[in-house]
Amino acid sequence: MKRWGMLLVAAMALGAADDDAGTWLTYGKNHLGWRFSENRQINTTNVSQLTPQWVFQTGVPGKFQATPLVFDRMMFVTAPENHAYGLDLATGRQVWHYYKPMPRETSVCCGRVNRGFAVKGQTLFKVNLEARLLAMDAKTGTVLWETEVEEIKKGYSLTVAPLVVKDMVLIGVAGAEFGVRGFIDAYDINTGKRRWRFWTVAGPEDPGIKTWGGDSWKRGGGSTWITGTYDPELNLVYWGTGNPGPDMNGDVRPGDNLYTCSIVALDVDTGKLKWHYQMTPHDVHDWDAIADPVLIDTVVKGQKVKAVVQANRNGFYYVLDRASGKLLFAKPYTKVTWADGVSPDGRPILVRDQDPTEEGTKSCPGIGGGHNWQATAYNPLTNMYYFTSTEGCHIFYKTDQEFREGQWYQASTTAPIPTEPTTGAIFAVVPGTGEIKWKWEMVTPPTSGMLTTAGGLVFGGDREGYVFALDARSGKPLWKFQTGGTVIAPPITYMLDGRQYVAVAAGSSMMTFALPRTPAAAK
Amino acid sequence: MGLVVVGLGWAQSGPKNPFANDPRAAADGRPTFRLFCSPCHGIKAEGGRGPDLTRGVYSAGDSDADLFNVIANGATGTEMPEFMSRLGDENIWRLIAYIRSVTKRDSTPVTGDRQAGDKLFWAKGQCGSCHMVGTKGGRMGPELTRIGRTRSAAYLRESIVDINADLTPGFFTITAVTKDGKKIVGVQRGFDNFSAQFMDVGEKFYSFQKSDVTSMKREFRSLMPDNYRKMFSDAELNDLVAYLASLRGPEEKR
Repeated sequence: MKRWGMLLVAAMALGAADDDAGTWLTYGKNHLGWRFSENRQINTTNVSQLTPQWVFQTGVPGKFQATPLVFDRMMFVTAPENHAYGLDLATGRQVWHYYKPMPRETSVCCGRVNRGFAVKGQTLFKVNLEARLLAMDAKTGTVLWETEVEEIKKGYSLTVAPLVVKDMVLIGVAGAEFGVRGFIDAYDINTGKRRWRFWTVAGPEDPGIKTWGGDSWKRGGGSTWITGTYDPELNLVYWGTGNPGPDMNGDVRPGDNLYTCSIVALDVDTGKLKWHYQMTPHDVHDWDAIADPVLIDTVVKGQKVKAVVQANRNGFYYVLDRASGKLLFAKPYTKVTWADGVSPDGRPILVRDQDPTEEGTKSCPGIGGGHNWQATAYNPLTNMYYFTSTEGCHIFYKTDQEFREGQWYQASTTAPIPTEPTTGAIFAVVPGTGEIKWKWEMVTPPTSGMLTTAGGLVFGGDREGYVFALDARSGKPLWKFQTGGTVIAPPITYMLDGRQYVAVAAGSSMMTFALPRTPAAAK
Repeated sequence: MGLVVVGLGWAQSGPKNPFANDPRAAADGRPTFRLFCSPCHGIKAEGGRGPDLTRGVYSAGDSDADLFNVIANGATGTEMPEFMSRLGDENIWRLIAYIRSVTKRDSTPVTGDRQAGDKLFWAKGQCGSCHMVGTKGGRMGPELTRIGRTRSAAYLRESIVDINADLTPGFFTITAVTKDGKKIVGVQRGFDNFSAQFMDVGEKFYSFQKSDVTSMKREFRSLMPDNYRKMFSDAELNDLVAYLASLRGPEEKR
């Protein structure tokens, strides 16, 4: 127990740099991607009393996907269609509103969404769908600079929440369904000038080009649409990469297709590749490895390790040594039919006849995986890692398609199985062993990200509009509220004037909850 | 019969498919269909979340011009989006060529007597106790006012004799056992992680929190009686299908 305690203190100190009870300053709460709050005013004994405090409605079509940021008595949140808001944290009243109409020719695969701001001092950073990165003044929403990241006619778009590291703002791109070549970029926070670019599809400058037949690398996909994490001691940034293009048809891109469906570890100062680990070589099921790469110091088979963990879309939970990229273990958390496991050399043990065909092939997990992009949470007090999963299978079809620049390029499709509707689950897994401590079953595939707190709680939401709190140790539901809008964004929590709040975006509304103002409620 | 006249009028006034006589157009339209249309209309165009497109009858009109209009601009009030910005007009015409190439026009002709089927529906079959046609009928099952436009005769026949083959989403069976041991069975109206709303055969509406009952389960099966294959003779089945296929709803102005 003592060793665990020490490990915990060390781990918490590492996360403490940007951890403040009254703020939420980055996508994953800390740079390790934990989404863990030390606030415990709301806890397992009183969470059933949570009540709405205010609701902000955008009035804009489309649902929130953004993690809001909170500091200086304000909340900052991005919305679909290039809208963003600065809100008064006490009342939810709008302080400022940013909007820029999206050019009609912008290609967007999966909704005109945005996943949130990053911040440094008083400067906010966000991406716009038309592949632009901008810096804004937090007090007024005034645009300070705007940089064109890529040309939209090539199929690029941006939805990611940026990550601030040192004096740089890091972003990833979307567009693998339009034949783009993916990358991770770093920009100077003061000028918006690009510092470095790492191509997630190996090109002529990279020996990895051998893993791409012909010139398929030119439109190899490898989007990077979910925010990475950062280890200051190793000076490495970790980022997940998406599917190769075209998605579920590998015929035109023979080879492993590096560095798609991988976690890459990059030197923060140079953007140079330190290591990569590819979960799904030559992916043909759209199994992006974009899920949060969460940094946890834990014990694997008796050894203390600095790990990076990921619940991958392909159905396996992976634990890697984050200094070397070596696989420590991989374990399925849901039904998997495409692989019999992951061999010690790191490659999946493939099952025959699981590739998509013209007539269709049933594979599990289905399209979108197991666990997709929804934010995950790690609680150092329970030593459990929480993530959602879609449970079930799909039919995967491939089809011939000619590539045209900027056009939808998938050469494949999928269909649900009418007699086997997919369902959902939230898993609590021990990071160092992959043991499933509990599983909370959901009637439909999950939509929202997770939040966990020192109050012994896990917060989430669902497709049908509930926001809920589960007991972090048992998975037992302790509180719920019907919001009337699908919850996609992960909830956050913060303190304001001595009260703990939980904020959650549901549909196009931002809502906050707190305990009633009674002496009994305050602890 | 007014509908047919309206349909013909449109076909004559709208633009024609420039690839109508090009055999390659249908082949070129196939991948486009599989990528863009199959997620809703099924990989074989036989329907799913969206209507069956192999019937040759479409709710927004049956001519090439009608199809072009719906694909290009979307269908107001439905989930059908516009595809003009992604596909362009030539690809839409190729898509229409493909859809025409897979149209079956009901290979099993409707041979029954629709008036006899009408009587069977409301009397012997008691179908109307659960299904509404126009303003008449029960509230348990799917409304059938326009079912002849959206489903093929073969599909309608299957729905009668093999009730769970393709159950309409949202019409699943919910069974709740209350804390005092009462078992209540009904058709799903809502079902989520915490509650269920459903209607029993007496058309009584229930809403239960899962935490307030002893058990609550949802089954992917229909509450419709499964004895129609035995109840009806082959001729009667044909009559019933003929009646259902004739249900095309009130004429709408376009």
